[in-house]
Amino acid sequence: MLLKPDVFRGLCRARDMLHEVPERPWTVEEVAREAGISPFHFIRQFETVFGLTPHQYRIRSRLSRARRLLAAGRHSVTEVCVEVGFSSLGSFSDLFARRFGETPSDYRRRARAMVSVPGKLPRALFPGCLSLMASLPPSAFRSFREASALPL
Amino acid sequence: MRIKLTSLMVEDQTKALQFYTETLGFKKKSDFPVGEYRWITVVSPEGPNDVELALEPNANPAGKKFQESMFSQGIPLAAFEVSDIAGEFARLKRKGVAFKQEPTPAGPVTIAVFADSCGNLIQLYQRSS
Repeated sequence: MLLKPDVFRGLCRARDMLHEVPERPWTVEEVAREAGISPFHFIRQFETVFGLTPHQYRIRSRLSRARRLLAAGRHSVTEVCVEVGFSSLGSFSDLFARRFGETPSDYRRRARAMVSVPGKLPRALFPGCLSLMASLPPSAFRSFREASALPL
Repeated sequence: MRIKLTSLMVEDQTKALQFYTETLGFKKKSDFPVGEYRWITVVSPEGPNDVELALEPNANPAGKKFQESMFSQGIPLAAFEVSDIAGEFARLKRKGVAFKQEPTPAGPVTIAVFADSCGNLIQLYQRSS
């Protein structure tokens, strides 16, 4: 598809709205209306551009934020759950565990053990650009060389 | 000193690998687990010894903010050279890719811009002969 400039702007606006945590969460229809796109086209266009439906995008945004808050270690799991916009602790824990492979409390415990400077996010959990490379085993670099020698 | 590697941040590494190989047509060159993430690189089958592109997680909040701001401003974070931009535009559109800009002459090149479904805008360019 070819996005018109106003549709592109609307989709970016929608994405920003889905990151926000208003007192009452917006419905997908409200976000679509605010973006100036019909709800019918909105979900499909959003998914094509951002790889997730608006609903999935909002859940993912909340879970990522929850992860950062838990790693910082200043808040309880319940506080984080409410802070990022979930109303049920059960569904928050389920979604978190499905996405990251461990429960919020297990993650919080593990992350806190890695924090050396209070309030700073541990680098191993939040890598910067290309910093992953430094954590590769030496065998990976041998494999790089072997892989470069192989025809694709 | 040589330029052999560059990187793009992506929202989801698994989906990104799928998009960059199955949709764009690049080949996976490396894929190693690193902690909770993966070190994934792809190369072009048309230039397997050219620069490798690492698909990195945008888990760092600073990186994600940068990525989102550049996207909203309409700025591509990578550019790939093609020899037939009209053909690539048609092929990728058929595969369901969303373009922000159709092939447009711009001085020495013709450019097009699409969303990679991983949080980035990517520019295609064809040099004018």
